[in-house]
Amino acid sequence: MSTLAAGCRGYQYGHIVKPGAQDLVGSHEAGSEVFHPLVDESVAKLLSRQEEQCHVGPDGNPQKKTICFVCVENKMSEDIGDFKDQLYEQIDSKILESDVFRPISRRMVDAALHETRLRPDSLMVPDNMQLFTSVLQRQGAPIDYLLYAKLTSGTTQRNTSKQRDYLLTLELTNVHSGEYSKESAEIRKGYHKTALGGIWNYNPLK
Amino acid sequence: MTPQTIGVACCLCICLLSGIGCSTHAKRISLSRSLFYEGQLEACRDRLEKLHKSHRHDRDVTNLDLAVVDLLEGRCKDAESRLKDVRDRFDHLEQESISEKTISMWTDDTVLSYAGEDYEKILIRVYLALANLMHEGIDAESYTLQIQDKHDAVMQRLWGEKPADEKSNKFCGLPIGFYLRGMLREQTHVDYDDALRSYTQVAQLLPTCDPIRWDIERVTQGVHSQPGCGVIYVFAMVGRGPCKTESVEQPTSDALLIADRIVSAVGPYKLPPTIAPIKVPKVVVPDSDIDSVQVAVDRQPIGSTVSIADIDQLALETSQAARNQLIARAVARRVIKKATVATVKQQTSSNSLTSLGFDAAGVAWEALEKADTRCWGLLPRNIQVLRIEAPAGTHSISIAPEHFGQTGRPTAHEQVTVVDGRNTYIIGWFPDTFTAPRILTSTH
Repeated sequence: MSTLAAGCRGYQYGHIVKPGAQDLVGSHEAGSEVFHPLVDESVAKLLSRQEEQCHVGPDGNPQKKTICFVCVENKMSEDIGDFKDQLYEQIDSKILESDVFRPISRRMVDAALHETRLRPDSLMVPDNMQLFTSVLQRQGAPIDYLLYAKLTSGTTQRNTSKQRDYLLTLELTNVHSGEYSKESAEIRKGYHKTALGGIWNYNPLK
Repeated sequence: MTPQTIGVACCLCICLLSGIGCSTHAKRISLSRSLFYEGQLEACRDRLEKLHKSHRHDRDVTNLDLAVVDLLEGRCKDAESRLKDVRDRFDHLEQESISEKTISMWTDDTVLSYAGEDYEKILIRVYLALANLMHEGIDAESYTLQIQDKHDAVMQRLWGEKPADEKSNKFCGLPIGFYLRGMLREQTHVDYDDALRSYTQVAQLLPTCDPIRWDIERVTQGVHSQPGCGVIYVFAMVGRGPCKTESVEQPTSDALLIADRIVSAVGPYKLPPTIAPIKVPKVVVPDSDIDSVQVAVDRQPIGSTVSIADIDQLALETSQAARNQLIARAVARRVIKKATVATVKQQTSSNSLTSLGFDAAGVAWEALEKADTRCWGLLPRNIQVLRIEAPAGTHSISIAPEHFGQTGRPTAHEQVTVVDGRNTYIIGWFPDTFTAPRILTSTH
């Protein structure tokens, strides 16, 4: 009886996922399996494009451009919860490791937005941009570029199955000239009510 | 009937009696509740701690009540620690124990480990977020995500994939979790899109609430606060919250149908055509003489709080949803007890006197059954909020309960320091218009 009483409820366990092991695939929403490849691809595209346009300094080394990564905007139909800050950090770290850009600290960006009370989406208004860059300049961080990351999604419904296309776009704007460029990466994902839904809707033999 | 059989029967009865106990949680907790509402927090704490030590099965709910007392006395870290313990334990208890369920069929539901009602599970996380905001605020955002996760899980379990619909009279959820998340994301001055998403979810649950529409407008076009200003959030815990009492119910046909399935699964028993009334817990909500709370800053009336968590409504709705299952279990228990007594009588060559004794023991066995009235007893009827933008600096805040638009006494006064571009939090307890309110201000 005592064994029964003690043994009916289980415990929770955890384990470390080995590097290189596949991510869990979210059954209802996007997770690591979507966001990590999106970040890898879009940042790689952005950096390779910018490397081509990079000026070489008098010392023969490429001149790094100062970049202000403003924010990650979530325009998807899903809430990304705790992923948002992680996406920011992942993109920021990859940019920092590159030879193309010299990002400024996120804390400085936050402090400048706090001080100016400007919304991140209002920085493209010339007066706002001037105010924002002047505050950063005063903090000792003059900038050449503003970078926004935007997550969007598109959903296609077919009876009980649905396909959601996830797009991460990195939008880079030159604060001096107003020139802008963007790079994006896309992942399509299917959600089904049955285990066979994937095979039925995406039949590889079709 | 041999002396050994009588001895075994007596032992069984003694075991059952000791296992069942003599009073319900509702009776045990009533004094603590009275002391709490009279403002005698020390006495209330002593009483709750005694209960915590003496009643093993009540430990989680007394811990929740003690967390409320801690929070009121400003011991936010202690409150957070208690709430975290109960949160983890309730999560663990979401797995059912077959052994406990089987034993409860021969005793009553009070022998089951209390896994918490759905609304309590959401509110534990709400209180965690509030307790954390009052002392450091580092983990508050994580708690708001946990509220949303739990809220979604509860909605999914109760109503499946169907969206909450106000017209269908279904469980409409607790918007406070989404509100807290929106409030914290807005304070970053960056994540207005997250704030908009959260406030939109609040608006879906509270479609007629004007202040939420203003919040949505602000995060869509405006900013958290003007330069040189900060924001004060006043959270008012209004009224006396839901509690459970023992009630005697006549089984409904739905409940009898479920009971029949349980009985058939347990053994070779049949449901009798009629069942005497059975004891089940019933959620009751005391009437409130406070509608909202009027707030004034530096003697200038600012506005009244609005409800973002109707705990009473949610408690009643969720208990109604689980009612048939509860009654069915009580009916099944009654049948199993009757069948057990009948089997013992049949297997022992009893004369009319011992048969009468068995019948009497059976009646006593059924009569000693208690409804499981365990619940978080010190919750408010609802949680209300008011957002005030104020210049940075120290301000005098006056908070008074309102009833039918009339500001009543007693009024609470508090000095609050507003920080430029940041949020400051005030929690006020207003159980009724007679009890002196208690005010707590964030310290970080």
